[in-house]
Amino acid sequence: MTHPTIPTPFHRLLRAETRKLFDTRSGKIMTAVLIALTLASIVGRGLTSGPRLDVLATTAGIGYGTLLPVLGILSVTGEWSHRTVLTTFALEPRRRRVLLAKCLPPLITAVVASLFAVLVAVPVTAVVADVQDVPAVWDADPLALLGWAVTGVLVVAQGLALGMLLLNAPAAIVICLAAPVLWSAVGRSGPTGSFLAEWFDLGATTGPLMDGALTGGDATRLAVSVLLCIVLPMAAGVLRVVRKEVR
Amino acid sequence: MIEFNNVSKVYKEVKALDDVSFTVEPGSVTGFLGPNGAGKSTAMRILTGLSRPTSGSATVLGRPYGQLDRPAYRVGTLLDAGAQHPGRTGREILTLGAIVLGLPRSRVDDILDLVGLTARQGRQTVGGYSLGMRQRLGLGHALLGRPEALVLDEPANGLDPHGIQWMRGLLRDLAGSGCSVLLSSHLLHEVEQVADRIVMIGRGRVLAQGTVGELSGGRGLEQAFLDLTAHSGRSTA
Repeated sequence: MTHPTIPTPFHRLLRAETRKLFDTRSGKIMTAVLIALTLASIVGRGLTSGPRLDVLATTAGIGYGTLLPVLGILSVTGEWSHRTVLTTFALEPRRRRVLLAKCLPPLITAVVASLFAVLVAVPVTAVVADVQDVPAVWDADPLALLGWAVTGVLVVAQGLALGMLLLNAPAAIVICLAAPVLWSAVGRSGPTGSFLAEWFDLGATTGPLMDGALTGGDATRLAVSVLLCIVLPMAAGVLRVVRKEVR
Repeated sequence: MIEFNNVSKVYKEVKALDDVSFTVEPGSVTGFLGPNGAGKSTAMRILTGLSRPTSGSATVLGRPYGQLDRPAYRVGTLLDAGAQHPGRTGREILTLGAIVLGLPRSRVDDILDLVGLTARQGRQTVGGYSLGMRQRLGLGHALLGRPEALVLDEPANGLDPHGIQWMRGLLRDLAGSGCSVLLSSHLLHEVEQVADRIVMIGRGRVLAQGTVGELSGGRGLEQAFLDLTAHSGRSTA
């Protein structure tokens, strides 16, 4: 038998999956909200807190922490709710490749969003300094900014992992958004609770990362929480999607 | 060439497919008939690697679907015309397929043309499409890569008489150029007019297979279908 032995090049899958993130009405609305929120939060913070580059840039992260994981969740669950997996997995039956192509765009979006926030924060800092006639503070700690951007990526990865594990957008979104509240309750529930929160709550373990002051102990705690909140659920989620029967 | 070799599928208690075997030869249209719940869609999902058989095997062009390289170039599938994101335009859905297949954008225009969707309809979101328009779009998507085999689940559903006539002509042309076409339907007259061979299933078992003439045996395909499936439909059991 003569069969062409060239699999679909990965970059094509990546292009298609990236497009899917932005080519629907909801995707476009989400992108518009993301951009508007970045601009509004940075300008707003500039007017209230004064012209400090690092403060202004990372302010956008508050919105990102909510919106970007939701974007990730929707990208891995949406095809199951609309049953378009019938088409997607018919085009590329090797589901792991499809999943990788689906996970990369939201992660890259997180990086781009962080860069965008910094880019917006620079002129806003300058303009606010000029308008309020106070000196601008430009000395942002590069390590802290980097840690902040990495945290954004981790939060999206957690959304992706939950999305693939549950394959149910509402459930994954609720858990993702309720997690900080739940962890803070766990943390205050006693010594065991505070130990658990210290080691497993991604919100707590990424704190030192965002401060740009990660010690050895902090790094260990971060690694443990990444393993528990991202790596394990993601591995289970990938396994679930690969094995799942499409109805 | 499409082959089912003793395919069985058991869901917990229910035997959805029971030892199903049949072949679709190149250059022919095989109609896959059966009552609702007979196992047609299950068989087609197993054939396209979306579901695993409990035992037996289904192959397209000599291989299990999942082991074909760039399968959409070789096998066109339309498994559920309704399974589309309502917020995406028809054109965009074809474009996504063309990207994965590495086809030029002009192929998207050609396909819209081929399946009778206007440029304006192509720019509309699928949420506003009628079922007939979705079937045309889905069939167009299946044809993007100029496949050698077609697997179509209820493609005539929702098409108006003109649409049905159009699809009949299209499928005959494709079979004429060597394509193996498997289409499921419960529209007996439609299948009778387009198919070379018929496979009838009920409760997951092949009840009869052969040419339209062999199966209808003078009483007409509809009567043959009703006789054969009288005691085998889950819905009528």
